[in-house]
Amino acid sequence: MKSNNVNPIPKVKISNLSKIFGDKPQDMLLHVRNGMNKADLLANHGHVLGLQDINVDIQASEITVVMGLSGSGKSTLIRHLNRLIEPTSGEIVIDGKDIMKMSKDDLNLFRQNKMSMVFQNFALFPHRTVLQNIALPLQVRGMVETERDQEAEKWLERVGLSGYGGYYPHQLSGGMQQRVGLARALASNCDIMLMDEAFSALDPLIRTDMQDLLLELQKELHKTIVFITHDLDEALKLSDHLVILNNGAVVQQGEPQSILMNPSDSYIEAFISDINRARVLRVRSVMTALNEGEVYAGDVYVNDNLESLITLSEGDTKHTYRVLDNDVAVGQIDMGTIIRALVPKVSDKNNPIL
Amino acid sequence: MAFYDDIFNIFGLRDWCNEKTSDVPMSMSELLAKTRGESVTASAEVFPFPSLDNLNKACSAMPRTREMTAGVEDGFLNIKDSLKVVLDPITQPLSWFLDGALYVFTSIPWFILIPMLILSAWYVSRSLSVTILVAFTFLGFGFIDHLNVAIQTLSIVFVCSTICVLFGVPIAILMSKSNAFERVTIPILDLLQTLPSFVYLIPLIFLFSITESKLYGIAIILYAIVPVIRLTNLGIRLVDKDVIEAANAFGMSNRQKLLGVEIPLALPNIMAGINQTIMMSLSMVVIASLVSAPGLGVLVLRGIRNLELGVGLIAGLGIVLLAVVLDRTSKGALTRINKSQHQDK
Repeated sequence: MKSNNVNPIPKVKISNLSKIFGDKPQDMLLHVRNGMNKADLLANHGHVLGLQDINVDIQASEITVVMGLSGSGKSTLIRHLNRLIEPTSGEIVIDGKDIMKMSKDDLNLFRQNKMSMVFQNFALFPHRTVLQNIALPLQVRGMVETERDQEAEKWLERVGLSGYGGYYPHQLSGGMQQRVGLARALASNCDIMLMDEAFSALDPLIRTDMQDLLLELQKELHKTIVFITHDLDEALKLSDHLVILNNGAVVQQGEPQSILMNPSDSYIEAFISDINRARVLRVRSVMTALNEGEVYAGDVYVNDNLESLITLSEGDTKHTYRVLDNDVAVGQIDMGTIIRALVPKVSDKNNPIL
Repeated sequence: MAFYDDIFNIFGLRDWCNEKTSDVPMSMSELLAKTRGESVTASAEVFPFPSLDNLNKACSAMPRTREMTAGVEDGFLNIKDSLKVVLDPITQPLSWFLDGALYVFTSIPWFILIPMLILSAWYVSRSLSVTILVAFTFLGFGFIDHLNVAIQTLSIVFVCSTICVLFGVPIAILMSKSNAFERVTIPILDLLQTLPSFVYLIPLIFLFSITESKLYGIAIILYAIVPVIRLTNLGIRLVDKDVIEAANAFGMSNRQKLLGVEIPLALPNIMAGINQTIMMSLSMVVIASLVSAPGLGVLVLRGIRNLELGVGLIAGLGIVLLAVVLDRTSKGALTRINKSQHQDK
């Protein structure tokens, strides 16, 4: 949780990025700048507005989650980061380099060394064994076989698949295949990892497993991860920085807890109205300042969720707890505050998507 | 008076028409009429189709259809010599390959040749039943004294199919990479595929001496190269887009993608194309016996020409057997590749 830290130089800086699909994207850009919306652009000009004026700063060593419903442009956005899709306008600066200015060879080197990717449908090579799949990024770079196999073996073990190196992808279950996909991305040892709906094709239990695996690996590896999802629970669980897209534009971005507490418009409110707030909200987001002379029923930690507090209180609404951050008291929380925090904020009853 | 006289008169073309008058008879009926002293009368049809022949009756300056085909022939004969200067040296290695293969395969004694064929069938297909089939086929050919001709046919098929693959696969790779090149190539492939197989032989006979083996070599290759090109192109284009995207995302170069991803994943289709190419060169090698290609086809031809029913029938069945053997062996290789690729999703 580093987004509260002041970090002036983002790892990846996306500025004014727009993408229009069609024959004459540059001409259409003028219409969009003059305020034409996605539906009108499609109806009157036959062009699809993919992304509109995206500005996102992605900090190093954080998980940035881009969330939106299907068609919101999130997969388009992530493919701009390694230029699998060329933008219509705007720039993307990664580690101080504008990737739009790279030649084809530079771009290939950049993809080999800076950025790896995990795909929704795994996209493993069916004709190569699991080990050969994981070793792929190293092979592309020209590492010799014994060396890259050793390295691949290490990552295979790291994702919990030791002994499966000689199997072919189709012999593994979906969850195992995506572990291979993850190991392949990690083996490249790139700073930045792009994950395009990486866990969306898995069933819920395995998805939770994979999320835990990712968080566990991230504790150790501190990669800069851009994670795409349409699942809000997944987004809230993983994200340090949450970007919500709708119709190709950013609706709100920020620290997930603050988005939950202060949704910027009715779209976000509707979006977050269905989630289990008790499980997602943390003590630090709702705690109040320490009040001298208060009697505490016990100690809780800043990153505990409200659900665990409710369990701790056994339903007694009169308790007040002391909040600790690394054994230093930083605030207090009473059950009344918790109950109030659980009420979703609704500003507009005529919500468009409810 | 011919039906179309008035048309030429209206346009004031009568003088132009009369410039060139010829009463050389152009058909048998005209010739007969002339010898009987009758004049050629206008067509009995009420409204004849304005064809070249009918227009010629009204205006002798118009060319007749026969003159048109003669023109095509003259045109070809005119460029023939310069074409030959270019094509002869380029295609010369083909003669060497064919003659060399024929010489080598027919001079190996049977007790080495048959085990060699059986072993290579095992190596390619890794299937016991196919290997046994191959063994019985060639022993059978030997028993009825057809081994030598069968081997001649086989070596021509071998050389021609190999050359088809060597040229076909690179052409197909270019096609799969460039839509423009594909648009140009597909009509040519359609033409090669639908042109009656005898028609291949006609221009070739004019170009090359009938004693040269490249004459039938070229005919077989042009006829048989189509499926390997089509199926390789298709195979590469059908490779999973997700896998290609992953290859791009990991920064693979075009060369790495082609050799490491596209060709291996297209291999089942490429092998199916090679199987078809072998089958088509076998069918063409029989027709090519008309232009001195040796092998079983010569016996079929003898059967037709001399009405030797038994000779023709046995040679024909021998070709069928050879086709079955080649098909099963190359299909065996195909299933082996499919298995090792595990593309059964």
